[in-house]
Amino acid sequence: MISGKGAKTGRSLPGRAPVFLLLILLLFPGEGGAFSFTQIFVLPQWSPQSQFAGIYVAYEKGIYLRHMLDVTILQGGADADPWEYLRKEEADVVTQFLSSGLEARDKGLPVVLLGQMMQKSSLLLVGRKDRGILTLRDLSGRGVSLWDSSFRLGFDLLFEKEELVPRIYPQYYSVNLFLRGVVDACAAMYYNEYHMLYQAGFDFEELSEFFLEDYGLGFPEDGIYTSESFYRENPEACRAFVEATLEGWQYAREHPEEALDVVMQYVGRAHVPTNRGHMRWMLEAILPCIFPDSGDVWEPGVLSREDYRRTAEALLQGKLLGSFPPYEEFVVPREVPHVP
Amino acid sequence: MFRNLSLAWRMALLLLLGGGCILGAVVGFSYVSSRNLLERELADEARETAQAIACQVESVAKALEQTAKGAAYAIRRFAPGTEGIFGLLEESLINNPEVFGMAVALEHPSWYGVQGVPYVQRQEEEVLFKDLARDGESFRIADWYSLPKFARRSLWTDPYFDDLGGQALMTTYSVPLFSGEGENKIFEGVATADMSLEWFSRILEDLSLDEGGFAFILARNGRFISYPEDAWILRETIFSIAEEYGHPELRELGRRMIAGETGFVFLKDSVMGSEGWVAYVSIPSVEWSLGVFFPREVLVAKIAALTRYQGFLGMLGFAFLLGLILLVTRSITRPLVQLEYATRKLAEGELETSLPHILGEDEVARLAQSFEVMRQQLLVQIDILCATTAAKERIESELHIAQSIQMSLIPKTFPPFPEHEEFDLYALLEPAREVGGDFYDFFMADEQHICLLVGDVSGKGVPAALFMAVTRTFAKILTKNSLDPGEILFKLNNELAQDNESCMFVTIFCAIVHLPSGECRYASGGHNPPFYLPAQGVVTMLPQVKGPLAGALENMVFEEGTFTFSPGDTLFMYTDGVTEAMNNHEELFGEERTALAINKLRGKTPVELIRELRKVLGDFAEGAEQSDDITMMAFTYGVDRKE
Repeated sequence: MISGKGAKTGRSLPGRAPVFLLLILLLFPGEGGAFSFTQIFVLPQWSPQSQFAGIYVAYEKGIYLRHMLDVTILQGGADADPWEYLRKEEADVVTQFLSSGLEARDKGLPVVLLGQMMQKSSLLLVGRKDRGILTLRDLSGRGVSLWDSSFRLGFDLLFEKEELVPRIYPQYYSVNLFLRGVVDACAAMYYNEYHMLYQAGFDFEELSEFFLEDYGLGFPEDGIYTSESFYRENPEACRAFVEATLEGWQYAREHPEEALDVVMQYVGRAHVPTNRGHMRWMLEAILPCIFPDSGDVWEPGVLSREDYRRTAEALLQGKLLGSFPPYEEFVVPREVPHVP
Repeated sequence: MFRNLSLAWRMALLLLLGGGCILGAVVGFSYVSSRNLLERELADEARETAQAIACQVESVAKALEQTAKGAAYAIRRFAPGTEGIFGLLEESLINNPEVFGMAVALEHPSWYGVQGVPYVQRQEEEVLFKDLARDGESFRIADWYSLPKFARRSLWTDPYFDDLGGQALMTTYSVPLFSGEGENKIFEGVATADMSLEWFSRILEDLSLDEGGFAFILARNGRFISYPEDAWILRETIFSIAEEYGHPELRELGRRMIAGETGFVFLKDSVMGSEGWVAYVSIPSVEWSLGVFFPREVLVAKIAALTRYQGFLGMLGFAFLLGLILLVTRSITRPLVQLEYATRKLAEGELETSLPHILGEDEVARLAQSFEVMRQQLLVQIDILCATTAAKERIESELHIAQSIQMSLIPKTFPPFPEHEEFDLYALLEPAREVGGDFYDFFMADEQHICLLVGDVSGKGVPAALFMAVTRTFAKILTKNSLDPGEILFKLNNELAQDNESCMFVTIFCAIVHLPSGECRYASGGHNPPFYLPAQGVVTMLPQVKGPLAGALENMVFEEGTFTFSPGDTLFMYTDGVTEAMNNHEELFGEERTALAINKLRGKTPVELIRELRKVLGDFAEGAEQSDDITMMAFTYGVDRKE
């Protein structure tokens, strides 16, 4: 089920699909042509974890099939760059941060945003209180590890805005430089590294947290992207994919333990060294970024023009973008205009 | 119920209870102290086990560090080129069996004449050669490369699954190569040596720990490197488990462990399968922590076995003690039991039963002696009592004889004079005690006169009887010489009063009836006046005639009264036993009731009269004890019995 696109040939439909197909064919005989499934290869931007629970759950609960989608989930990871996969057409749909999507578009890859899953930023800087990091100012001159490229943008803007000059170290997959005391602060996602530090023995009280959101630098994160060409050919399927994925998230929201069971299956198959406790934390932390609560104004799955403009302009300011397209060009409309 | 038990059992039970409390306290104390002792032993054992494994790991780690450092030195010193480096690494691998794999990675591939990233790896008996840069530069973000680069020191990576070279679970010691000195030295690359973690599993599996016990290793970030549950290895940290199970103590333990502390804690929860102790030590070079878990059941089982053994011994001791106590108390109470048996026999009257001879001078012996004395005294007392009783019986039998004699003195044949059909006569004497002082008599004074006598001697018993006999004898003798009742009583009084030292006296009524005419002359010495029952008319009392008690003073005058019987008339004479008969309410029968009763019985024959009056008296007395002799005599004149 999780396979590279090279293995396309000989790939069979997922476990439930034949039964489902048969059922549909039995129910609608003679209209078979109108019920053809659209094949979609999807690549999440990282190795299996609760960050993609909506996709896994939509798949496992047959939601994609119900939306007439024949989905194959590819295994993401450090060596699977979603934009490369899109460019080489090894994947039809990928997930990525909004900032990364804008960068890819700026670099000439014609990607379009099908739906914005995570509306809020989960990025923060975590400092060690025992190393004297109590306020943002304390970071000046201290070792701080950051991810590269677009992940780094918000932090750079923060340092610029606050006129801080920390010593920056590269941060790869782990926060080991922080754990080893090489750096006094590190970049983290609230749903991931922040809790990993807790699971590595740091008590929350021992850590200082600086959320980019609190400094006006929080940008929407995971979105669902495809190429312009794929969208042109399959607008209905693309829209259905977003709907189905949101349904998957909704199901995960209503059945968190069942969703965790699913996530842990994927985690197990991919040999990801993580645990259910961490996946639970991640799911619980991500759901409020997808579904608005009483104080939030967004509509699930829809990127607001304001967030788009704000993010794009920040990237422009950070010289990560040369320019950015109008909202309508980058974001496909939620409801596909009906062509008579 | 306890009180129903014998002394021996009571004593045994009380002693056992007391002993049981003491034994319980001792066993309890021994349980606590042995538990503490065992706990200490267990802690020591756990610590020693942990320390031993830690030392083993430490020594391997040190050897590995030296290998990596040696390689780094050789590269900088000799710049051996790609082939040379492969040779060097292969040699190191062969010479150091602890090493799983080795690599040299440089910041700039061309430095030291090296192409790519040479890597050697042990595979069973062979050595494999690889170039880690074959598929790109991704090695540069691996911990074994980036961490020493930025930390600028040699270090051990966290355990990881190496999919780049080794395809195994491993940890790597990485030595950075620098050119230049001090702050400005330039990072040139790393030389590494890998340690396979499978090796640990082997060491830890070889441990012979108590059942349920196991060892585990935490990496510096709390991640399980080794744990019986495979699913935990590298996936879970001690903190994630603490979080998942809501176990703050476990988190605290984890923090102590990754802080490099050494210690011993008890985990209450069953997070590690059951509750138990964890001894932990640090493995400093790799900055890991090793824990040895001992489940509580092991200790509990040991203590339970010990306690069972103690309990068994205790019970055995108790049984023995019970026997001993019973034996001792029995020996003490045996004389008591014998004594009890003997005294019971005594109490039943078997005074000849000999009391057990009890040796010694203790309480029981003295009690037995006292009982013996009591028995002897009782025998004496009983002898005396027997003698007294015999004497009393003799007197009683004599009294009985006296009564017989007394009763034989008075005439008891009715009708007394069958040849005299002109009157009817009946009399009754019921003594209150066996010998009484009342009497009656009647006899023919001559052919035509009958003499009737009723008397009551003061006092009771033999003296009264004797006095009565004397009185009667005198009266009978005196009547031979005179038919004058006054004179008879005068003489009788004088006879009785003479030498009357016992100061006894008698009331007496004497009547002499002239049978042909019916004339009756009478005199009374202080006696109740008789009733006169005429055949026609009402009952009257005979008119009183003066006369004192006979026998008190000499020469007293006794007046005479006279009346004449009509045929069918009855004279009823009695003693005060009749009028003074008492019922249970201490009421006297009285003259009035007597008169009324007699009145109702008019027309009856003397026998009927007396018998029925006696019945009336009996009814009145309602069973009350008769206090005085009852004497009644009825004389009916002029009735021909034959008719």
